Order: sequence, then structure tokens, then C-alpha cells
Amino acid sequence: MAAVTAMTMTLTAFADEPYNSYNYDSWDDAIPSQSAYRVETTITGAEMKIDRLRDPADPLYMGEDAPLTLSEARDMFCYEDDKEIWIADSKNNRLLVIDTDTYELTAVYTGVAGSSADGFNSPQGVFVTHSASLDKKVVFIADTENSRVVKATIKDNRTLECVYEYTKPTKELYTVQTFNPKKVLVDKAENVYCVVNAVNTGSVLFAVNGDFKGFYGANRVQVTAAVIAQKIWRAIASEEQLQGMKRNVPVEYANFDIDNLGFIYTVTEQNIDTDAVKKLNPAGYNIWNNVRGNNYQFGDLVGYMYDPVTNGNHSSTLTDIDISSTGFINVLDFETGKVFQYDKECNLVCLFGTKNSTSDQRGSLLNPSAVETMGNRVFVLDSAKNDITVFKETQFGKYVHSAFMLYDEGRYVEAKADWDEVIKRDGGYTYAYVGLGKAALNNEEYNKALKYFKTAYDQEDYDKAFKYAREAFLRDHFVLIIVIVVLLIALIVTKNILKKKGIKIFRKRSKPKPRRISGGEGEG
Amino acid sequence: MYEFTQMGWLKHVIFHPVEGFEDLRWKKQGSIKIAMIIVFLLFVAMVADRQLTGFQFNTAYVKVFNIVPLLVQSVVYFFTWVIGNWALCTLFDGEGTLKKICIYSAYALVPYIVCTFLAVFVSNFIVQEESIWMNAISYLGIIWSVVLMVQAMKAAHQYTFGKTLVSMFFTIVAMLLILFLAILLLSLFQQVYAFGYSIYTEISYRIRG
Repeated sequence: MAAVTAMTMTLTAFADEPYNSYNYDSWDDAIPSQSAYRVETTITGAEMKIDRLRDPADPLYMGEDAPLTLSEARDMFCYEDDKEIWIADSKNNRLLVIDTDTYELTAVYTGVAGSSADGFNSPQGVFVTHSASLDKKVVFIADTENSRVVKATIKDNRTLECVYEYTKPTKELYTVQTFNPKKVLVDKAENVYCVVNAVNTGSVLFAVNGDFKGFYGANRVQVTAAVIAQKIWRAIASEEQLQGMKRNVPVEYANFDIDNLGFIYTVTEQNIDTDAVKKLNPAGYNIWNNVRGNNYQFGDLVGYMYDPVTNGNHSSTLTDIDISSTGFINVLDFETGKVFQYDKECNLVCLFGTKNSTSDQRGSLLNPSAVETMGNRVFVLDSAKNDITVFKETQFGKYVHSAFMLYDEGRYVEAKADWDEVIKRDGGYTYAYVGLGKAALNNEEYNKALKYFKTAYDQEDYDKAFKYAREAFLRDHFVLIIVIVVLLIALIVTKNILKKKGIKIFRKRSKPKPRRISGGEGEG
Repeated sequence: MYEFTQMGWLKHVIFHPVEGFEDLRWKKQGSIKIAMIIVFLLFVAMVADRQLTGFQFNTAYVKVFNIVPLLVQSVVYFFTWVIGNWALCTLFDGEGTLKKICIYSAYALVPYIVCTFLAVFVSNFIVQEESIWMNAISYLGIIWSVVLMVQAMKAAHQYTFGKTLVSMFFTIVAMLLILFLAILLLSLFQQVYAFGYSIYTEISYRIRG
């Protein structure tokens, strides 16, 4: 018997993720949750069959000494139309393209033909899109050390052809000495946005013809005690002192992404409160600012993440952002190696990945640098482990995503079935109760809605539901209420009349009140 | 002239803020029993405010319910107020005895307690848009109680209005002092206990060898 038990135990044992999933409840307390993603595999050079680069018979042949691993790869781009992942293999000065199903290498590029410099020099950003003007697939590479952004078309799986090179702007508006683009992004009108080293006035914006158009979406200075103190000192300091003072400048953002509607999302590594994650409209205005009573929070909520290794609370360092084709926002936290996934309304959907566990373990990251999504998979590029971790959506994650997608479209009733499935798997998933509450509210089941909102501790929605519930109650019991009110008034009136006429229905208690002698109450 | 029951007197002082406490003092009325009930009700009102306020208004952290802070905020604060006020005003020609201060202060708190209960009741039937009603009730209670408290202290000590305000301000200072010393004393005793306990452990280890 014992043997059988032992056997079933070993049979049911499985390798779990090296991290715990959690979500935040209405008090910003972390509540353990189900994993919405699990590690499917990791892609290293071996999985990519990168040794083909050393095989002279192979069309991808590069040379006998072609590096067989990634090296400090900085960026990754998932081009969903052709099911390709483009990897900026920065230190090896090359771009790798792998297939998203087999993870095998399909193309490798070491430079762009017909451009000022043939070879790449530490390319740190890559962006692939379909150009409407050329009617072709075009690749934009932030060729960092060559001080350029190259726009190229694809000739074959070994050569890129240059279309245009965006170099350091000559206008006076551009004041920085260097031009080292780190990340690049292109909108539908083929304007090119680059995050450039040491430029803190936003991303550098080029028009499609290569004109420098200015800067886009600068960060603000995070107001800290030091900044306030300096503001006061500045007011009383002399000219000489002012010159010696440090200036408070906003931090540059680390990365950005663009969604299907053309909104640009940025992440900033150092800030926590101000502009950590921004959603910029075409005018460069941050939609997710916390000015109008909103409270958008990203990453781990500070004060709740205790790290036993450093014996302190740490803050998130958000390093990359990706908007999936279904509208979910994935934010990569360099500090903890976590990917935070948000829905369109910035509600935390799930989180996965870690850094605390040993980095040799699958699912644990050492130096995560980029995140990309493709269908139900999330890819995280690690620039120290030189691999890509593939996270795959679990059944729980599938229900959560489906529910959130319907919910965000306002199809609350249709989302109900998915929320029910979510609750079956994780009864502590706060947002499921909000979703169910809204479904009930839509169906005019007010008491049910109130119950759900109470469970989720969602006071705003409870308030709305309460208003309807109260209205419904008054409507349903209108006659009864009127009857009671009329009866009460009648009772008081008759009592007064009877009192005036000196008729007593209720006999007073025979015992007279002991102390009260005269009725002289008040000022009399 | 005024002949009321004890409850009648309570009603009288509440609804006659100007003369009520003077009458009470002149007639040597006021019951310590009722005062204690009022203090208890103050505590109950605090608990009700935390636990029974309508869901849409309740900002309390519902995962933990600790009664000690509520007890301190009601009962302990009240008696510190009484003792502080007595200690201070005895030195400054106040005529109030400890018992009188206790009774008068408790009587003055009644509007606050009643309005808190009312606000809690109302909060269960209104939505956030209408929260002004609830706030109006609770502010009414607070202001009324403050007015009564000033009158109560004025009558108890036979002070002028200005002197009453000054004495009340310094009573609050005295309260802080008392609470500070109490906490100091507590931590001191805790250390004495810890010291004794460590000696006990030490000896018991030695004996066991």
C-alpha cells in the first residue's frame, strides 16, 4: 500500500516553476495566484542550430570562427506576419532571425549592403515592419556604435540592402555630441523614433524622408526630497554656486513599443512613481498620468517586495515593454526578472519569471533585456545567459486572457463563463469578482453584483450597483412604503387630536415618576 | 426651579449649551453612572464606525480587527483628558473636582456619539454622491460636542471663556505628557521583566547543567 502511494507520489511530481505567481488585491497586498505562464523551453545556440554558420555547405555559412552562442544580445523583435524573431546579437555584431515554431535559424545578417559602413557595430535595437511606400518588409536597425539607424530591405537570408541611413541630426535643436541609438521604432506613417544614449528630452524623431523632426515624449523629473531641497537651494544660491550645482534632468527611457492603434508605450528604468510606464498619444501626451485622480502603478508595489538576499525592499527597474497583438502589455522588470502583464486598463493580469532562484534553472533569469510576445507565448531574452526563455500560456492563463479581452471590450456578460473558470482555478483572483459583478450588474441582478463587488472589495463599482439596487428596491416596494408612511402620519395626527381632547387610549403606568414634580422644561 | 430626572438633566445640558452646565452645577446634579455608560457608548460608537459603516464608505482595513487601538482612542483618551484637566485646573484655581470633570466631559460627548451612530446608520442607505449628508451629520456632532465641552469645562471650573480655551489647550499638552510617561513606564517594566526572565533562563540552564 505504502509502495503504491509512494509510486503515485513520484508519478504526480513535476518540475514546478522556480517562481511564485501572485497578484495584488484591493489593499495592494500580494495574494498567491496560479501561474498564467509556464516555461516551455529555452532557446540557446544549440536549439537555433547555430552551428550551421560554420558549415561551408550551408547557405548561411559565415566562417569557421562564427560564435555559436548569443553574446550580450540587447533586443529582440517578433515579426508576427512571417513568424520570425529577430535578435540583435549585439556583441557578435550580427542579426539573427529564427523561426517561431521550430526556433531554428533562418537568416543571419552581419551588415547592410550599400551603406556607409558594411558591418554592424554593436547593434542594440531592431524593428521589422511592412512598409506601405515600398510595399516590402523593411528592417530598422539601431546600429549603436556606428551612430546610425539603418532602414533596409531584405535581399536574401544573408544580405540586407540599404534604403536609408538616419544619422546624427545637424540641426541646432540636437545638442548632444554623440548619436548612439539604442532602440528604434516605426509608426504607421514610417516616422522613425529612436531612443538615443544620453538624450533625455525624449526619443529622437525622424520623418520618413530622413528629416530630423525633433523630440517626442520626454519624461518628467521625478520629485524626490533631494530635488525639492535643491530647488530651495537654487533660490538662495549665488551665480557661482549655481554653476557648480547638479541640474535636475529627467531620465531617458529605456525602451518603447507601439501598439496596433499607433500609441507608443515607454518604460523608464530609474523612476518608480513618475513616468515609469507611459502611454503616449501622437501628440506626445502621456495618457497614463496620475494627475486626474488615477492611480496607475507598475511593477512590484514598493514596500511589499522584500528581498531576503539583500535584506531590503527593492524597487522595480522596468527595462522593456511589449504590447501583444491582443492588447496585453508585458513589462519586463530587470531587477526581479519578472514579466508583469497588464490589460489595456493597466490592471495586473499576471506575472511570471524570477531572478532570485538560481539562474541555471529554467524560468529564472540573470540579465533579462527584452520581452516579446507571439500568440500565446512570451519570449524573454537574457543577455547574460545568452538564451531566450519561452513562456507558454497555461489553461488558467488562457481563461484569464479571454476574460480580460471580453471585459475590456465591455462584453461583461460574455466574459462571465471565462471568469467562472478563472475562479475555479484561483478563488483569490480579485479581478474575476469585479468581472462577474459587472456581468451581474448588466443582467440587472443587483444583489448578486453587490455580493461580487464586496468580495473583490471594489467600492466604486459597489457604489454604482448599490445605487441601482436601492432604486429597484424602492420601485418594487413603493406601495408598501407609501402605506407605512401614511399610517405613521395618521397615527401621529390621531394621537395629537386625542391628546388635545384629553382622551387616553394607553393608560399610563400607575407609578408616578418620582423626581419630576413640575413640567417646567426648557427656559420657562 | 429645575427638577429633572438624571436623564432629564442630560437632555437639558445637551439642548441648552449656554446655561445647561451652569444649571447642572448649581443644582449639584449629574450621575457618574450615566457618565460611565456614555464613555462605554463612545467606545461602541468607535467600533460601530469602523465595522458597520456602509461598505462604499468604509476605508478600514478589514483583514485585521484590533480592538485595542479603538479602546485607547475612546476610553483611555477620555480618562487621560479627565485626569489631565483635573491636574492642570487644580493648580490654576479651577473649582472642578475629578468627579465633576468626569461627569461634565462625558455629558458633553453625547452629541458626538449620537451623531456617529446616526452617520453610520445613514451611510448604509446612501451612495457616495450623497456622502455630504453623512458628513454633515458627523460634523454637526463634532461641533456640537466641542461647544458643549467648552461650556462644560467653563462651568466646572468657573473660568472665563478665554481661560477655558487656554486650559483646554494645555490639557491636551498634559494628555500627551501623561501618555508619553505611561509608554515610558510600560517599556521600562517590560525591560525589567525581560531582565528578570533572562536571569531565570540563565539560572535554569545552570541548574540543569
